[in-house]
Amino acid sequence: MDKITAMDKIASTREAFIAGLMDAAPDDPKLCLVFADSLKAARATPFTDKYPERCFEVGICEQNAVAFSAGLASTGLKPFFNTYAGFITMRACEQVRSFVAYPHLNVKLIGLNGGIYGGEREGVTHMVFEEFGILRSIAGMEIVVPADAGQVRKATRALAQREGPAYMRIGSGREPVIFDDSMPFEFGKARVLCEYGNDAAIFAVGPILKRAIIAVEALAKEGIKTTLVEVHTLKPLDVETIAGVLRKTRAAVTLEDHNINGGLGSAVAEVIAEREPASLIRLGLRDVFAESGDAELLFDHFGMGAPHVCDAVKKLIAGKRK
Amino acid sequence: MRPEVPMLTQKARQLRRDVFSMIHLCGDGHPGGSLSAADLVAALYFQVLRVDPKNPDWPARDRFILSKGHACPVYYAALARRGFFPPEWLPTLRKLGSPLQGHPVMKKTPGVDMTTGSLGHGIPIGAGMAAAGRLAKLDYFTYVITGDGELNEGIVWEAAQSAAHMKLGRLIVFVDNNGWQSGGYIKDVSGLKNLTAPFAAFGWHTQEIDGHDFDQILGAIEKAQAETERPSVIVAHTIKGKGIPFTENDNSWHKRVPNKDELAAALKHLGGS
Repeated sequence: MDKITAMDKIASTREAFIAGLMDAAPDDPKLCLVFADSLKAARATPFTDKYPERCFEVGICEQNAVAFSAGLASTGLKPFFNTYAGFITMRACEQVRSFVAYPHLNVKLIGLNGGIYGGEREGVTHMVFEEFGILRSIAGMEIVVPADAGQVRKATRALAQREGPAYMRIGSGREPVIFDDSMPFEFGKARVLCEYGNDAAIFAVGPILKRAIIAVEALAKEGIKTTLVEVHTLKPLDVETIAGVLRKTRAAVTLEDHNINGGLGSAVAEVIAEREPASLIRLGLRDVFAESGDAELLFDHFGMGAPHVCDAVKKLIAGKRK
Repeated sequence: MRPEVPMLTQKARQLRRDVFSMIHLCGDGHPGGSLSAADLVAALYFQVLRVDPKNPDWPARDRFILSKGHACPVYYAALARRGFFPPEWLPTLRKLGSPLQGHPVMKKTPGVDMTTGSLGHGIPIGAGMAAAGRLAKLDYFTYVITGDGELNEGIVWEAAQSAAHMKLGRLIVFVDNNGWQSGGYIKDVSGLKNLTAPFAAFGWHTQEIDGHDFDQILGAIEKAQAETERPSVIVAHTIKGKGIPFTENDNSWHKRVPNKDELAAALKHLGGS
């Protein structure tokens, strides 16, 4: 855990995405940006000021934006379409599936306000906690959920290098800083962040990883030794790493800012069912809708706090002893 | 009459023969909307489009999107007769392993520039192609054939706004205005009547023509090409099932398979065997 910071700083994943794009743009004239009246929300003015000809504003119509992006990509351009995650993955779901994923076009979908961390006070219409499940079921769709701003910047550069459709969830702009700048981002790899022991594994995705880290340390102080794995790439899933950890622990907790159905919890359950039997507790929204409020308070309220992780681990360990 | 009209008339008859034969062999498909679009498709593929069948991915080629993807038999016939792939592929339509899917798929069929099928997507995707051409400083045109019924789809009008706002003058859209949708006359099913007015209101260059008259089709394309500031729509009045007497204006042929006798009668009428 030597690359984990104190986690009391805040940095914007939205600004980090644009910074990552600015890193990649000078060497790649095919990179462009598509907006659905989302330029301001995307904090995109550094890019639009420098590369105005590479920016396409279609207005408030996400279906059109995704289809338009498919048209751009069919000619060899690499459009990044950035707006609210729920509007991309739910309102324009068919365009994503039939005109981006099916023809395997090089369209990158950048969903801001993903999860409770993004929507917070805006309320449920502006949050999305279903999109991992939606997108995981679409063939060929890559899904990346970096944990903090520094990782978003690196993930953006990684996605710019890849061919084909991909989705990256980012947040509201008020995400905790988790890693120091030296932490790399390796697409497609689950990352074992600490291995105190094999009492249980904790798998986490996205900025909520912060809470898993707190839980792992708290458990360690009680003598409970866990292994913490960050699964920033949900698809393609790093089954080998996940299975290897499950083989040692035979007990797992998943933590995600998403409905427990369809996302990381489901993905790990699939590995458990097909590869390495283990007991599992999925933490996330328990098939309910969230509500407006401070994100950190909402997580506590809906059962995604560090104490909830600790309780789940203890329950699994008690089950092992039976 | 333009000198190329007799040639185009023959090509369109060939396409109509192919359409009926393919659907008969396949046992599934949409003859009515394929036949109504046959003259537009013939004009594009045998006179207008700057394409190279030997190099279907040529970056500077004109783009074509069949937004009404269910009319793909006429599209596949045109691509085959233009040399993109052998006509021997045509009888494989909609069969397992065929490059000719039930609706067009860009990476399976040479010459198909965009996957379509789910209605309403030709104009928004075509707008993206046209915008990309402008960015790349390529002078290609992007042509779309959309059905009239599919103009019910909201995404069409999302794209009508943004394409006009972006001044995509090299986007040229035909509406195959045969007046029918699956459930009956469009005026009865969904109420859409004047098709040019909403495009004009969004700032498009609009024309109305007889979609079976090659002089009018070619003339309208020239006018649309000359328009540099606005996307163009050409509302082509057509007859569903055009070219075969017993299918014309009979909506039972929207999705129907001709039997052996019907195929023979159609081929005889169209001058084939």
